[in-house]
Amino acid sequence: MIKSAFAVYIQGIKTAIASRMAYRTDYFIGITVMLIWEMVVPMVVFLIYRSGVAFPNWNIYEVLLIQGIFMIAKGISYPCFFGIVWNTIVRVQEGTFDLLLIKPRSALFMALVTGFDAEDLGKLLGGGVLTGICLANLPPANLAQWLNMFIYFILGQGVMFSFAVIMAGTGIKWVGNFRLYEIFDSVTAFGIYPQSIFAKPIRIIISYIIPIAMIGAFPASILLGKPVPQLGWVSLGVAGFLTLSLFYWRRMLASYTSAGG
Amino acid sequence: MKSSAVATYKEWSAYRSHMLLSLVVGPVFFLVQSSIWKAVFQGRELVNGLSLEQMLTYFAAATLIYYLIMDFADWNLQMLIRTGKFITFIIRPMSHWFFAFSQKVGHRVLGLFFEFLPVYLMFLFLFKIPLIPVYPLWFLLSISLSFIMMFQINYCVGIIGFWLVQAEGIRRVFLIFRDILAGAFLPLSFFPELFQKILFFLPFQFISYVPLRVFMGNYELAGFEMSIPSIVGIQALAVLAMTGITTLLWKLGIKRFTGVGV
Repeated sequence: MIKSAFAVYIQGIKTAIASRMAYRTDYFIGITVMLIWEMVVPMVVFLIYRSGVAFPNWNIYEVLLIQGIFMIAKGISYPCFFGIVWNTIVRVQEGTFDLLLIKPRSALFMALVTGFDAEDLGKLLGGGVLTGICLANLPPANLAQWLNMFIYFILGQGVMFSFAVIMAGTGIKWVGNFRLYEIFDSVTAFGIYPQSIFAKPIRIIISYIIPIAMIGAFPASILLGKPVPQLGWVSLGVAGFLTLSLFYWRRMLASYTSAGG
Repeated sequence: MKSSAVATYKEWSAYRSHMLLSLVVGPVFFLVQSSIWKAVFQGRELVNGLSLEQMLTYFAAATLIYYLIMDFADWNLQMLIRTGKFITFIIRPMSHWFFAFSQKVGHRVLGLFFEFLPVYLMFLFLFKIPLIPVYPLWFLLSISLSFIMMFQINYCVGIIGFWLVQAEGIRRVFLIFRDILAGAFLPLSFFPELFQKILFFLPFQFISYVPLRVFMGNYELAGFEMSIPSIVGIQALAVLAMTGITTLLWKLGIKRFTGVGV
């Protein structure tokens, strides 16, 4: 079952890349655009620090490391599974979402397979470069820190997946609304800065309830040797968020009326 | 103009719930900005000549100004050219430029009710940001000019569609730079001195930075300090120059239209 699902997914990736390569120039322009867009926030941080001010107890490379890891997280999740959002919104609007429902796999899985977005690999590239530059200018982390960071990072991918499922589910009811991405961008903005700058109630929400901090802030903090909440508690938060998102998707799918097109 | 604006208003009223998303997005972004600047200002009175209160006012006003001036003339024109639908505008008794501008008026009137006013009240009562311009009449004039400037610049980007079939990538790159250079992400006074001097001669500051500084009651960029009437006067000249550039580009571009997408 898992093997065949993986095979289907790989086929989806191959098809997506092949169709995107039909317009190579546009594809590479798209990757460049992604890269430039993702560099806006690091540029703002650079200009703030250049003015001689700083976030208390955080140097510029430490802050940029959060943003670099956040970009890597997006660079993995956007191509691999975040495509379910636009895929669902477009298909519901056009009426082609029905085609996913008649296939012998779950609608969520089919939305995932047909939603691979090769253009978003630009985020991975940008995140990798930014993280590399920061790590080269920071004291090296030990193996235990890297392993711990990896666990938090994987959980952060769970948070990204949950967000994608919630947004795709919303796209079933809220037809044609691509502004859902703006909500995601605004909420996740809390996760690209040091958590210490936020008020305590916000820190609790973004650590345990909508665990945005798992995407970039906590993994970076681990590498920097800064304190992070215990794995057990944040894991519970991620598991709860994921369960809620899947429940929400089912509810939205059940209310789908097939009225698009 | 009235008919086109009213038609656009009615058309977009069907999607007013989409606009209401701004009630979440704007204040949430502002909450993040507010946390950032409160942390940065710890133990400091001024950063780049701005106090914490001025900085928060800058970002709150930037959010609101965007609701008043935003448009998608660039996307719309490129789409019309690419699909060939633009051909229907050639036979109409009004220019597409004027039609698109009328559409913007209708769309932004809707934005005034569903985005600007609710978010303004949220900033006022929730975040306690006193959003009252120092010189209301000059601000009104400046925001009107920035409304036209935003349209002209976006329209010029749309005109690129006459030369390139697939100009989406270039359009998106341009929009990112437009927002950076207009001071939407950070006041332009944070940029390096030489860069500020270049920005002074580009049209982008007249989209956001100038109306924001007029709102705050003082203008400074690249070491140039100016009175509010002077900078608004320069803004008016820049809008005139941009109109000339738009007209020129339009005359060159329209010659290339073949309606092949029809």
